[in-house]
Amino acid sequence: MSTNRTIVARETVTSDLKTIIQATIDILPLALATVPWGVLCGSLAINIGLSPLQAQLMSLLVFAGAVQLAALTIIGAVGSLSSMFSSTFVISSRHLLYSAVFREHVRQSSLGLRCSIAFFLTDEMFAVTCAYMEKHKIFSPIYALSSGVVFYLIWNISTFAGIIAGQHIPNIEHLGLEFAIAATFIAIVVPAIKNRSTLISVISSGLSAIVLSIFMKDYALITATFIGMLCGYLANDKESIDE
Amino acid sequence: MNNFWVALVGMTCITFSCRYFFFSKTVPFELGTKTKRLLSYTAPSVLTAMWVPIVFLGHQSADSDFITSPFLIAGLVTVVLSLKIKNTLVAVGLGMSIFGLLKVIF
Repeated sequence: MSTNRTIVARETVTSDLKTIIQATIDILPLALATVPWGVLCGSLAINIGLSPLQAQLMSLLVFAGAVQLAALTIIGAVGSLSSMFSSTFVISSRHLLYSAVFREHVRQSSLGLRCSIAFFLTDEMFAVTCAYMEKHKIFSPIYALSSGVVFYLIWNISTFAGIIAGQHIPNIEHLGLEFAIAATFIAIVVPAIKNRSTLISVISSGLSAIVLSIFMKDYALITATFIGMLCGYLANDKESIDE
Repeated sequence: MNNFWVALVGMTCITFSCRYFFFSKTVPFELGTKTKRLLSYTAPSVLTAMWVPIVFLGHQSADSDFITSPFLIAGLVTVVLSLKIKNTLVAVGLGMSIFGLLKVIF
């Protein structure tokens, strides 16, 4: 009896370990792609006058690249707290969608597990966990958590590297790290344009971002995002009518 | 920045709440299909609203002309590259090398 139990326990441990390894392999390329971005978050924070501790805490607590970069730009331009919070909310609002998708699988779990999965819920973790769910027809909390944790570690290590670099190399953004954000976002967005409505959403958001950042820099990001979302939504309506 | 700590706590709460919201047992409603569809455009829209000004207005901070701006040229090359190459890391790496090269030339 007790040997049986040991065998069962050992099998569970090995399968858990397999899941953790699989999660690590799946998230790693995505995590590495955000390294330049993490470095940028760290060095930019130092450049605009935050202390190393403050810079690291942003990655440790907020843990959202787009939010952090937008916030740093606003702090650098001495923008208001309200513009910072509103853009944080708009940029994060896509996570509401992710949380709604995982809801049925997570809702019955303990508070601790729900909080942990929520904390580590990023675009990349959502993407690989959905792919895993598609393949194995099951939501694995271990898979979700371990891919999230791996991503968190790499994000914070790259932020730390950026903090060190930012302290020793003044004006690090002249090395083209600012362009790294643009390149990363392009590489995420362009392959994701798979239908007409997404294309319309991207074009309208881009055009309004240019015009708005000339006239009302503080709220350009959120306004352009709203315009892009609305145009995509309306274009989709037309698509379904056309069909 | 004096308000830094307020900003940090505020941002932490906002990002966590968005991620946790539908895991909460006290939220009785589900997202409607229309809201889900609207939210599905958030990621492409917000990311584009961030990269487009860097690529098209980057020449202002770099004191270069619009046409010869490394931001513009390397940005457009990266768009083409990411259409051809499905590997994000390779596309970003190539785009950044081109940007670095152009900075040396101009």
